[in-house]
Amino acid sequence: MNKKLLFLTKNSFMKKLKSKWFIVINILLCILIVCLANLSSIISYFGGDFTNKLDILVMDETHEVGPLLKKSLEEGAKETNTNISVALTKDNTPQENVKKHLGDKVLVIVSNSTDQLLTAKVISNEALNIDRYQFITNILSNIKYSYGLQKANISAKELEKITSPIIIDKVVLSKSKNSDKSQVELMIGTLLPTLILPFFMLIVFLVQMIGSEIYEEKSTKSMEIIISNVSPKTHFLSKIIAANTFVIIQGILLLLYSLLALILRHSISGNSISIMNKISTIITSLSSVQSTSSLILVIIFTIVLLLLSFIAYSFTAAILASMTTNMEDYQQIQTPIMLCLVIAYYLSIMASVFDGSTFIKILSYVPFISCLLSPTLFLLGQINVIDVLISISLLILFNYIMISKGGRVYKEGILNYSNEKVFTKFKKIVKRGLKS
Amino acid sequence: MLTVKNIRKTYGNLVVVDNLSFEVGDGEIFGLLGENGAGKTTTFRMIIGLLEKDKGEVLLDGEEVNYQVTDKIGFVTEERSLLTKLTVKEQALYYGALKSMEHDQILKELDKWLDRFQISQYKNKKIKELSKGNQQKVQFICAILNHPKLLILDEPFTGLDPINVKILKEVIYELKSENTSIIFSSHQMEYIEELCEKLVILVKGKTILEGYLPQIKDDYGIKKVVIKGKNIPLSKLEKIKGVGTILEKDNEFIIDVLNGEVANKIFQVVKSSEILKFEAVTPSLSDIFIEKVGGYHE
Repeated sequence: MNKKLLFLTKNSFMKKLKSKWFIVINILLCILIVCLANLSSIISYFGGDFTNKLDILVMDETHEVGPLLKKSLEEGAKETNTNISVALTKDNTPQENVKKHLGDKVLVIVSNSTDQLLTAKVISNEALNIDRYQFITNILSNIKYSYGLQKANISAKELEKITSPIIIDKVVLSKSKNSDKSQVELMIGTLLPTLILPFFMLIVFLVQMIGSEIYEEKSTKSMEIIISNVSPKTHFLSKIIAANTFVIIQGILLLLYSLLALILRHSISGNSISIMNKISTIITSLSSVQSTSSLILVIIFTIVLLLLSFIAYSFTAAILASMTTNMEDYQQIQTPIMLCLVIAYYLSIMASVFDGSTFIKILSYVPFISCLLSPTLFLLGQINVIDVLISISLLILFNYIMISKGGRVYKEGILNYSNEKVFTKFKKIVKRGLKS
Repeated sequence: MLTVKNIRKTYGNLVVVDNLSFEVGDGEIFGLLGENGAGKTTTFRMIIGLLEKDKGEVLLDGEEVNYQVTDKIGFVTEERSLLTKLTVKEQALYYGALKSMEHDQILKELDKWLDRFQISQYKNKKIKELSKGNQQKVQFICAILNHPKLLILDEPFTGLDPINVKILKEVIYELKSENTSIIFSSHQMEYIEELCEKLVILVKGKTILEGYLPQIKDDYGIKKVVIKGKNIPLSKLEKIKGVGTILEKDNEFIIDVLNGEVANKIFQVVKSSEILKFEAVTPSLSDIFIEKVGGYHE
């Protein structure tokens, strides 16, 4: 590497790394991630409890389903990690008396019904948490079902045959299409927002960082001295390399903070099993949507697209920053690319809604949007490898144009101190830069 | 030696610099003059390669100026080009490294020049904490750390008090004695007159006057005569062809004349009077500048 390029890159990189803000933000991020991962332990430590016990009192007016309901509630609670205790009221206890002394308990009254077979009432003094209410209603529905079969004199064997899930041999002929909506929705709901958000943040960080550094050098006129000693292309590349290296390191640090948070969670509450279970569930869901080799491809494509997009964003940010003479102008001129990023973010999160849309597919090719949208659509099976390769090729082409032509526009921009309107100036600089 | 040959720069239909040529020899101080917007900064930018020329060439010691040569050039811009969040030492290390200087060499030179400019105590201070004058000194030091072969000074005395102006002038003469070619631009004509041997005056990118300063003054000729004495025959003087306005100030008569010949005629008329002072005044650079640039506008 050219000695001056190395010097400028090192200087720019170390300046960011040594800045007080970097240290402060990383300390805060580390604390935040660790705290979020261990929120339940922290709340418990200060006296709060996420898993406060639910006392259920079952009043069986059928004189038949009570024990079965109690058993089902207890087993269901075990499966779903719900902390409950269930008790049956004595047969002769008057209903009004129970209601009077209900306290924090939830009273479930099951009764016979001629047209509904079973009806139930769920009574509590305070409004019941929606998850817990749903848990009780699910169990009651199951009980009604079993009770119905029992009443219809269906044997346990017959019942098992009826209730056991159907064996399905799943064959997907088109690799790009999959209609397993529930698994897709699971992914969308849990995985994508979590995965995409850090990348979104890193790109925002990258654009702001490059812009403010170039703006500072330009506004102090030190740019003239720098550019008289190194070519604008060298200066331009040094900023891109330094900022991208910095952002990648910041990404790795975020990953390390998350790992630290998980380790702490494990050592504090020994609760890593449920996290591992969740991760395993997600991976199983993903595997059912895509084959393992496709998942590896998704990871590779995502990394390639992100790295290329980081470069594309930083090239654009550097060129735009070179044209501005104050921070307001920079904020104004960078708005379109930030909008592209926001569009990419929302389209990625809502990708499953647009299944089959050609417009969304074409948008996934567009540089600035492809980094988030293309891997998401590929992960969901809405586009194939060729589509992703088109996105990658377009990004490579975009970056190539930026390297070959962008340097000239950048050179034209950094020496322009005119007070014209920012978009008028933009047009003039681009025209002159491309002409030179 | 710097050679600028027929350089031209246009922006669309606007000609910013038009066929400008000059040479600055080793150890020579050259003045580039012009009113605001005359094309001086554009010329400087073309010399150091910041701007591409539409045509012409710039050679330093016979070699086209490019990024291999710019290590030998020092540049003091009109507005301070300093990263104000850095300390003086950090700034010098940054600019020194851009001139391919070694770390130790930069520090050695920095200490020497800080001491010379009497600002050693600010070495580890942030630039934004320094006064404008001291910032100007730091900028100058950063430009000469590498003992440049060519030094470009765009308004170098801005913000300096007379004592520091004196130090700066001494350093400029020192660099001259080291055979540095110096191009100097200032609106303060007295500095140009004092320092420069050779100059070019630009108007709208065009050269309207060039050459060695004494020669320019000689060519310009005598334009004023100052007389002090008694019984000066003013009415006779007014009748001499080539005599312009006569102004009386502090018991002296300041007479505008067309040339040296007219001054001679005036002397012949007043020599029999009681003359205490008779001076045929050589024009100042400022006078020449105003007349040439002003005349061009008329």
